[in-house]
Amino acid sequence: MMSCDSFRTRFHTGTDDAALLEHLRSCDRCLDFAAHADPDVMFRALGSSTFGSEMIPPGGIDAFVDGVMQQVRVRDAETAVASSQAASWPRRLAMAAAISVAVFGATLIYRFDTPQDSSPVPRVAVAVPNRTLTTKPIVETYDSQNATIVEVPTDGTGGDDVKIVMIFDENLPADL
Amino acid sequence: MAPGLRLMIPTTPTVEPDDRQLVETIRRGDTDAFETLVRRKTSKVYALCYRIIGNAEDAKDISQLVFIKLWENLEKYDAHYAFDTWLYRMVTNVAIDFMRNKQSRDNAVNSNLRLVKTAADAEQSVIVQRKEVEHVFDEVSAVLSPKQKTIFVMNQMEDLPSSEIAKVLGCRESTVRNHLFNARKLMQVQLTKRYPEYAQLWREK
Repeated sequence: MMSCDSFRTRFHTGTDDAALLEHLRSCDRCLDFAAHADPDVMFRALGSSTFGSEMIPPGGIDAFVDGVMQQVRVRDAETAVASSQAASWPRRLAMAAAISVAVFGATLIYRFDTPQDSSPVPRVAVAVPNRTLTTKPIVETYDSQNATIVEVPTDGTGGDDVKIVMIFDENLPADL
Repeated sequence: MAPGLRLMIPTTPTVEPDDRQLVETIRRGDTDAFETLVRRKTSKVYALCYRIIGNAEDAKDISQLVFIKLWENLEKYDAHYAFDTWLYRMVTNVAIDFMRNKQSRDNAVNSNLRLVKTAADAEQSVIVQRKEVEHVFDEVSAVLSPKQKTIFVMNQMEDLPSSEIAKVLGCRESTVRNHLFNARKLMQVQLTKRYPEYAQLWREK
């Protein structure tokens, strides 16, 4: 550390000497001397290397660093969440694509499985007399291995009778 | 182990990594290295913020914001340039933004609350004291634009040459010199108005 005498000997206006400035920033008496010789140095004396303790943020360095690191962790966590949300978009797109393919495939399969006449049948308008059926066809017995019979149970007033409403059978006689 | 006996283990002297090495380590995901960097640069960043902003609490908040921005933008740092220059750029950008917002708020509220010293005060003997100088600087530099003040602080208090300041601010050296000249001129006018005793010293120079 430079002595005050040495400082006053070496000091001159407009100095940029680092050693002189360092002394100036730690010695009030020489600051007064220098300010009278060169007022510019008045503000130069406020340099950051000045008052060691004053250049520490309020609360101390440890608290300051802890505060920064805490906020950094929070930001990191936010970034991680944001990036995971961003990554789910491709996943969602993939799912949507898979569903679309499945629906399209099912449609194709349905079309191929359904027998379709390639030749269009000309439609003929037939006048059907508007008749009211007086009796309904009743099937007493029906015996077939391949038939599917849908039965609707009665409401209980007709004894044990079962009303058959539909028969699904490829071999069903046309005149039934 | 018996008291007074110590195991002497030869240790190799640990070499502190420089700023660039630390940045590389941080980029690989080492949070501890970032903590080391923050610890190393806190005084420097805080000092500059404090000089530009002039308020300890605000300077602390802005300094913390600078380090968070540093963390978020570390990938953008080009190791061909000095780390401190890049850091200073970040500090000045954040501090200047803060000052611009603050100035617009203060101008609306405190436009008429300026302390002006009387001639009688000027009669008193001039004994320059550091605390007083700080106060004078805060008062007088209030008229500077955030950029002018930043440049003045970096040049006069941080001892950065105008070429380095130009790099930090991304402008030409002549622009820096121009800002410095205007800053000094404006401060001199303010000094004459508010602290004639100091202004007299300046004039006598």
